Amino acid sequence: MLYMVNKSPLMFSNLATLLRVAPHSSPILLYEDGVYAAAQGTAAEDLVQQALSSHPVYALQADLDARGVKTLVDGIRVIDYDGFVELVEHDHVVPWL
Amino acid sequence: MGNTVAVIMRRAPYGSVYSAEGFRSIMGIGVFEMDISVVFIDDGVYVLAQGQDPAALDMKPLGDGFPMLEDFGVSKFYVHDQSLTERGLAPEDLVMDVEMLDSADVASLLENSGIVLPF
Repeated sequence: MLYMVNKSPLMFSNLATLLRVAPHSSPILLYEDGVYAAAQGTAAEDLVQQALSSHPVYALQADLDARGVKTLVDGIRVIDYDGFVELVEHDHVVPWL
Repeated sequence: MGNTVAVIMRRAPYGSVYSAEGFRSIMGIGVFEMDISVVFIDDGVYVLAQGQDPAALDMKPLGDGFPMLEDFGVSKFYVHDQSLTERGLAPEDLVMDVEMLDSADVASLLENSGIVLPF
């Protein structure tokens, strides 16, 4: 299953609660305000490191660009809309709204 | 205190309509020549982050509009220092010069405002 997070990790606990549930190695996609989790040097970096330690973590390019998020935590995989479609075609989706 | 307005910007841009509506309200309040202060706190500090390019979302960069609010009589912009630090940002990463406030300063500003508008 593809777990999708669209909320900021510094305002909402979606990413934290998702990590309690998502099985090991299931992919996580950060999109909309969820991409702030991908930024380096935030107070949520430990959480993202935790995610990266057991999941592939993707972030959507268009949402990173919109927000000016440029310096990413190592290991985050940036994808465009085509990559997004590939992920969705490959896995069933669990939106963690 | 009576006619002073404090606008609290607490949301990130683009993910919701709050910050765009906040911008429109601030401009309107400025046009009516009211005494207005704008406080960016929590994810609201992201509104002023440099380098926003939402073209792929078919939207306009929201941060770029704020420096122009001076022309509408709005010049008191404040950023909560802890919110900025928690997001790995520094004052140099913002689109404009702002005054940094600590938490006690923010509380004091709100306490001394006649009206508080949240966005």
